[in-house]
Amino acid sequence: MIDSTTNSRFTNKQLIIIYTIISLVCLLIVWELVARFTSASMFLPPASEVLTAFFRSFAEPIGQHTMLFHVGISLYRVAVAFLFATVIGIALGVGMGYSRLFEAIFKPLFEFIRPIPPLAWIPLSILWFGLSDTGKFFIIFLGCFCFITVNTYDGAKNVDPELMGAARMLGANERQVFFKIVLPSSVPYIFAGLQIAVTAGWSAVVGAEMIQSNEGVGWVIIRGMSTGNTVQIMVGIVAIGIVGFILANLTSALERRLCAWNAQKGI
Amino acid sequence: MVEKKQPKVQVRNLTKKFGDLLVLNDISFDVQAGEFLCIVGPTGCGKTTFLNSLTKLYEPTAGEILLDGEPVDLKKHNIAYIFQEYSTMPWLTVEENVRFGLDIKGVEKQKANKLVDEYLDIVGLTKYRKYYPDQLSASMLQRVVIARAFATQPELLLMDEPYGQLDIQLRYHLEDELISLWQRTGTTVIFITHNIEEAVYLGQRILVLTNKPTSIKQAIDNDLPRPRKIASPDFVKLRNEVTDLIKWW
Repeated sequence: MIDSTTNSRFTNKQLIIIYTIISLVCLLIVWELVARFTSASMFLPPASEVLTAFFRSFAEPIGQHTMLFHVGISLYRVAVAFLFATVIGIALGVGMGYSRLFEAIFKPLFEFIRPIPPLAWIPLSILWFGLSDTGKFFIIFLGCFCFITVNTYDGAKNVDPELMGAARMLGANERQVFFKIVLPSSVPYIFAGLQIAVTAGWSAVVGAEMIQSNEGVGWVIIRGMSTGNTVQIMVGIVAIGIVGFILANLTSALERRLCAWNAQKGI
Repeated sequence: MVEKKQPKVQVRNLTKKFGDLLVLNDISFDVQAGEFLCIVGPTGCGKTTFLNSLTKLYEPTAGEILLDGEPVDLKKHNIAYIFQEYSTMPWLTVEENVRFGLDIKGVEKQKANKLVDEYLDIVGLTKYRKYYPDQLSASMLQRVVIARAFATQPELLLMDEPYGQLDIQLRYHLEDELISLWQRTGTTVIFITHNIEEAVYLGQRILVLTNKPTSIKQAIDNDLPRPRKIASPDFVKLRNEVTDLIKWW
């Protein structure tokens, strides 16, 4: 029985990959045709040109560095900010979900900060942190921390009271209820939050690198804009898109692995 | 029974009010060590309130519950509960679920392993030890919960309509399993149900409760030999007796 399900899932997977490839190829063809044969060519370089420039950027530097370095430095910035966001977001979320007092203290503050777009913080961040990397961490942090907090909070709020009761009746103290029930049952929510957050953080990187920088994929785009180099802008966009796609897939693969118990439900 | 022996559980004048509503009215009874006591009453008669007071989930308005002569304390006394809801932890495997109570109580690792193996075997889930609850059927889940409860080797096991959601066939099967576990371990069991047949089938003694405000209508000793036959004349007679006591119309 297990064999047949994995078999059918496998072919399903293959189908999905095939459709994805078809859709990508169609996009590229339409893009190419529009850029070559319509007046859009004034603003839109053809796909072939962008892709060639993209692949070339791995060998020939844009500015002082090649694409791998730009991606690497941006990933590093996202990683640092994401790490802080994860720790603080989970702590805040679980805290607010579990303790009424904690919720009363932090929820209003959090709800106030949440709707402010990360880019709105750029001027303040320059004022506070100057042009250092710290300011960039700060912007990316703001871009992803809310998602982690909100999801973790939801998870901690939605813990099955039956389970908490069961643990208490087995003699669990509050600490054990927290670590053995509240935290693990929030894990799928936390992961959903991390998944959104890693993508959100990655998209905030452009904003963060708009603050004075000499490298990074965001910088590639900003630089392209200030020199009127449309191809370079598009190359930056392609790089961001591809890395974002990979990140999203990596986190969901990680989730499947770590939350095997929950994945069962989805299938 | 030995004359001087202290009862395992002593319930003394237990009373519970929610505001002005008197739910439990001056209930007193004893449970001897190793006894299998069934409590039956009409639906909505406060059976669950009764249990929750017993477990200190509610503070009783008056009266007290003593275990071995001392007030009940969940941190000290080893009491296990089994409810209708299959409160298995979905993120733990069968084996980890059974171990859960032992971990909470800080049972030493090797001893815990042994107990887990033993009780998985008793409830017949050894083959499924690595499965997650989502992959199991209702009766298997209930067995996980039962194994988890028995593995902690409780002094007192409280069951609140544990088989209410199961179909009849599974219920019979699990009831027999429960009886054999009880005989094997000598645990004291208080089993609450609204199912008269179940009470007569399982109980060594049956407490019949009245409608609200709940008090004890009668205690009936049930000496029918085991395994009990639900169609035997004695069984039917006792069942009818209990049914007559419960009738409020």
